Amino acid sequence: MKKKLLFAVILSFTISGLIRTVILAKDEDRLALLTKQAIEAKDNKEVYAALEELKGTYFSCNKYNEFIDFLNSLLLQKKSLEPAINYYIALTRYKQLGFLEETQDWNEYFSSQDTYRQQLVASALKTIDSVKPSDIFSIYAHLLLWEFHKEQQDALIDKSLDSLVSSVQNYASQATDINTIKDVADRLIARDEKLRARQLYKLYVDKVANSQIKNEELEHIAGGFYQEGNLELAESLYDAYLDKLLKTMSKEKAAPILIGLANQFAIKDKPDAKQDAMYAEKIFKRLEELGVKEINDENLLYTRAYSLEKAKEYSRAKDMYLLLIQRFPQSGHFDEAAFKIGIIYTYIERDIKTGRSYFDKLAQKEAISPQVISSIYQLGLLSQWEEDLKKAREYYDLLLGKAKDSYLETVNLTKERIKEIEASAPIEYNLKTFLDVSLKPEQVDLDLSQAALKTTLYRPKKEEVVGISSLAVAPESGCMQVEISYLWSGHIGQAKPAIQESAFDTDYKHTGTKEVNLVIVSPNGVQERSIDMLDVQNP
Amino acid sequence: MRLSTSKIVASRKLQVTNKKTTGRKKLLAACSLFLIAILGMACRPTPTVFIKKLRNNNFQLIVNHKPYVVKGVCYNPIPTGKGYDVDWWGDESKPWLVDGKLMQDMGVNTIRLYQPHEHAEEMKKVISDLYNTYGIRTIMGHWLGFWEYPCPLYANPDFQAKIKKEVLDMVSQLKDEPGILMWVLGNENNYSCLGRINPWSSDELDQEPDPQKRNNKRMRIYYSFINELAGEIHKIDPNHPVALGNGELLGLEVAKEVSPDIDLVACIIYRGRTFGNLFRALKTTYDMPILITEFGADAYDAYKKKEDQNMQAFFLESQWRQIYENLAGNKEGMGNCLGGTIFEWTDEWWKHNQGDPESWGVHDLQGNWQNGNYYFDNREGIKNMNEEWFGIVALSDQIENGLNKRVPRKAYYVIREFWKNPLAKTKLREGGTK
Repeated sequence: MKKKLLFAVILSFTISGLIRTVILAKDEDRLALLTKQAIEAKDNKEVYAALEELKGTYFSCNKYNEFIDFLNSLLLQKKSLEPAINYYIALTRYKQLGFLEETQDWNEYFSSQDTYRQQLVASALKTIDSVKPSDIFSIYAHLLLWEFHKEQQDALIDKSLDSLVSSVQNYASQATDINTIKDVADRLIARDEKLRARQLYKLYVDKVANSQIKNEELEHIAGGFYQEGNLELAESLYDAYLDKLLKTMSKEKAAPILIGLANQFAIKDKPDAKQDAMYAEKIFKRLEELGVKEINDENLLYTRAYSLEKAKEYSRAKDMYLLLIQRFPQSGHFDEAAFKIGIIYTYIERDIKTGRSYFDKLAQKEAISPQVISSIYQLGLLSQWEEDLKKAREYYDLLLGKAKDSYLETVNLTKERIKEIEASAPIEYNLKTFLDVSLKPEQVDLDLSQAALKTTLYRPKKEEVVGISSLAVAPESGCMQVEISYLWSGHIGQAKPAIQESAFDTDYKHTGTKEVNLVIVSPNGVQERSIDMLDVQNP
Repeated sequence: MRLSTSKIVASRKLQVTNKKTTGRKKLLAACSLFLIAILGMACRPTPTVFIKKLRNNNFQLIVNHKPYVVKGVCYNPIPTGKGYDVDWWGDESKPWLVDGKLMQDMGVNTIRLYQPHEHAEEMKKVISDLYNTYGIRTIMGHWLGFWEYPCPLYANPDFQAKIKKEVLDMVSQLKDEPGILMWVLGNENNYSCLGRINPWSSDELDQEPDPQKRNNKRMRIYYSFINELAGEIHKIDPNHPVALGNGELLGLEVAKEVSPDIDLVACIIYRGRTFGNLFRALKTTYDMPILITEFGADAYDAYKKKEDQNMQAFFLESQWRQIYENLAGNKEGMGNCLGGTIFEWTDEWWKHNQGDPESWGVHDLQGNWQNGNYYFDNREGIKNMNEEWFGIVALSDQIENGLNKRVPRKAYYVIREFWKNPLAKTKLREGGTK
C-alpha cells in the first residue's frame, strides 16, 4: 500500500514537473520568437508590438529587474533598438516603484527609489531625444513622464502634459495608426484630465469620421466604446455617425435610430455607468429639431421626463411631465407625473401654491392610487406646517377614509401627524426642519437641492432592499472632525436612520412614489438639503 | 501798483537768483536727507531673522545673515500617563535635553512650540538649552485662546485685549532669546470663522442672514485682529518674523486684504503623499512665503490594525521632497517655501480620549479623524488618522533617567538620510520633461 502511495506521489510530481517544463518551454519559445520579432522589426511600430507582449510576460509575474536585464541583453544584439529599450527601462522602473509601494516592500523601496526614479526620467528623456516627435515611442515616453509627474504631484505636471498633447497632435498629423491617440486619451481620462482627453478624443473621432469608414462600421465602433463604458468617446462617435446618417437618410427613417439611441442613454431603473441623461436629452432635442411625430409619443415623453428627473434636472423634468399629462390625460403615468410635478414645484422651486394645485388635482380623483394618497398627505402636511391645523386634520381624515387598510406607510405617517395635532406638538423635528429650509422664504439661500443624495435603485420592488446615502462631503476642518447630523424624513420605508448615519438600507411594503428628504446640519447650522423620489414597483 | 520795465527785469533777475538759491538749498536739503537716510539704514541693525525676497521672487529665510531652511519638528513631550496640562517645562528630567540630542543627530534645526508657558524663566531655559547645547532654534506659537471655553470670541474687544496682552507678554519675555526663530499666531483657528469648529459670533454677525457673508465678516474680524497683533509685535521686536498660523489656505484671500503686517503664512497641511498644488495656489493667489508648520503621517495602520512605521516614513519622505522642491532657488518649484515642522516629535498618548485620565497611560488604537489622502489605511467608515501615533519617535513604557525611553521610528532615519543629501534626491526632477 505504502509503495503504491509513494509511486503515486512520485508519478504526480513527475507529471507536474513535465507539464511545468512544457509550459516553460512554451514560454521560452514565445519569448525567443518575440525577441526575434523585435530584432527583425521593420519599424518602431513592430518593435513596439513585440516588446509590449514581452513586457506583459515579465510584468505579469513582477519580474522587473529581470526585464531590465533582458532589455540590456537585447541592446547588445541590436543597437538601433536603443530608443525603444530606453522607453521600456523607464516604464519598468515606473511599474516597479508602483509595485513596491502597493506591496509595501519598503526595504527595496527606500533603498532603490532614487535610483529607479532617476533611471525612469533619464531613460524616457533619452528616448524622446533620439526619435522623431511623431514616433510612437516619443508619444509613450511623454505619456510616461506625465504620469510620473502627475503621481509625484510635482511642478512639472503642466509642462509635461503640454508636451504630451503637442506630441500627440504632431503624431496625429502624420500617423496612420490612430489607436495610439485613443490610448493616450484613455489614459488621460483615467487620471481625470478630462479637458485634454476630450481634445484628443476629438482628434481621434475626426480621424475616424474623415476616413473612408462606412457608417455601419462607425456605429459599430461607437457601440464598442459604449459597451466598454467609454461614454465620452462613444458619444463623440455617435454624433459623427448621426451627422453622416442624417445626410443620407430621410428623417422618418432616421427617427427610430435616434429614438433607440436616446432610450439607450436615458436613465432607467437604477444607476448605471452606461447611462447619460444629458446625452439622451441631446438626441431628444435633435428629434425635436427634425420635427418627427414620434417625439410626442407617450412612453418616450415619460422616458425623457424620468431620465431628467433622475439626473436631478428637476425643472426640465417637470416640463416634460407637464407635457405628458397635458397630452395624455389618460396616461398610466398620470398620477406619478402629477405627484412629481407637485413635489418639484413645492420643495424644489418653492412654489407652494402651484405645487399644491397638483396635489389637489390628484386628491380629487375618484380612482385611488398611491400617488393620490400621498398627495392628500402632502396637502395635510403643508396645512399643518402653515399651522392651519383644522384643514390639516380634514386632509388627514380624508386620507384615512380613502386609504382604508392599504397604503400603510403613508397611513402611519398620517397617524403620527394626527398625534402631533392632538398633542399640540410641533411636526417631528427632522421633517419640520426640512419643511422650514425648503419653504421659508428667508431660507432661499439654502436652496441646494442638487446636494448629493443617491439611491442604489430608482425603482425598487416591494420589500427589495434599497440603499440610500448622502455623498455630502464633510466640510474642511483640518485635523478636527466636524460633527455632522443627517436629518432624514419623508417616506423612508422600514428603516429608522440615526442622526449620525449618512447612509442606510431600507425597503418598502407598498408601491408608489416615495419622497425621501434630507437636511444636513453642521455646527454652524444647516449645510444643505436634498430630496429624492423612489418609485416602488410590484415584483 | 504797476512796475516799470527796468524794475520788472530787475525783479525777474532777483527772482531767478532767488530761485537758483532756493534750488541749491533744496538740492542740499535733499542730499542731506538722502545721506541721513543712508546713514540711518546703515546704522539700523539687520534683523536677526528676516525673510528676503530674491530677484526671482523666491523667498528665503535669513538667520544671522545666512539662508536657513527650517528642518523642524512640532514639540510637545507629554509623558505617557499624563495629559495635555502636564508641566513638562519644569520637569527635572529635562526631556528637551534628551530629545535635543536625538534631534541634533537627525539634523533637526528647529522645534515648534504651540503655546508659551506661564513661567517665563522655565520657558527661557528650554529655549536656551536647546539653542546653546544643540543649536536648535524655537518657533514660538500662541493658540490665541482657541481652546478657551465656551469659544474664542474674536469679535469681542475684551477678549481681543486679553489675547493681545498674552501675546505681547510672550514676545517681550522671549524676544531677546538667541534661540527664538519666529512667532506663529494661531494654528487652525481660521476654521472657526466658518463656524465648523469652536464657532463664535457677535450681535452684528448674528444679524447677517447670508451664511457666506457671515463667514466672510468673521474672517475679516479674525485676520484684522491677527494683523493688529503682528503690527504690535513688530513694534517691540523687529528681529523676528511673524507668521499667520492657518489651516490649509482657507481664508487667505481675506488675509491678503486685511493682514499686510504678516511676514509669512504658517500652514497646517495634511494632504497625504504630496502637498498637491499648495505652493502654486499660494503663489498665484497670495504671494507670501510659506512654512508648513504641521504635516506628516501617523504610524498606525487603522485598516490592518497594527503599527506601520514604513507607511509613516513613506509619506514623510515624499512630503519633504516636495518641500525641498519648492525652496528658493529650485527652478522647477515655486520658490516660496521656507521649510517645515513635522507633526510631531514624540507620540502623545493622551490625545484619543482627552477627558479620561485613565486612558492617558494607554497607547490607543482608535483613529480620531478620516483623511482619504493617507490611502494605505483609508477605508469607508474607518477613521484612519491616529492622533496618538504621529511621533517620529515612539515612547516606551520603560523609564530611562526619569523619562519614557525614546525609540526613533523608521521615519526618523529616513528623513535623517534625506536631509543629509536632499539635493541629490530631488535633482532627478530637473529637466524631467521636454
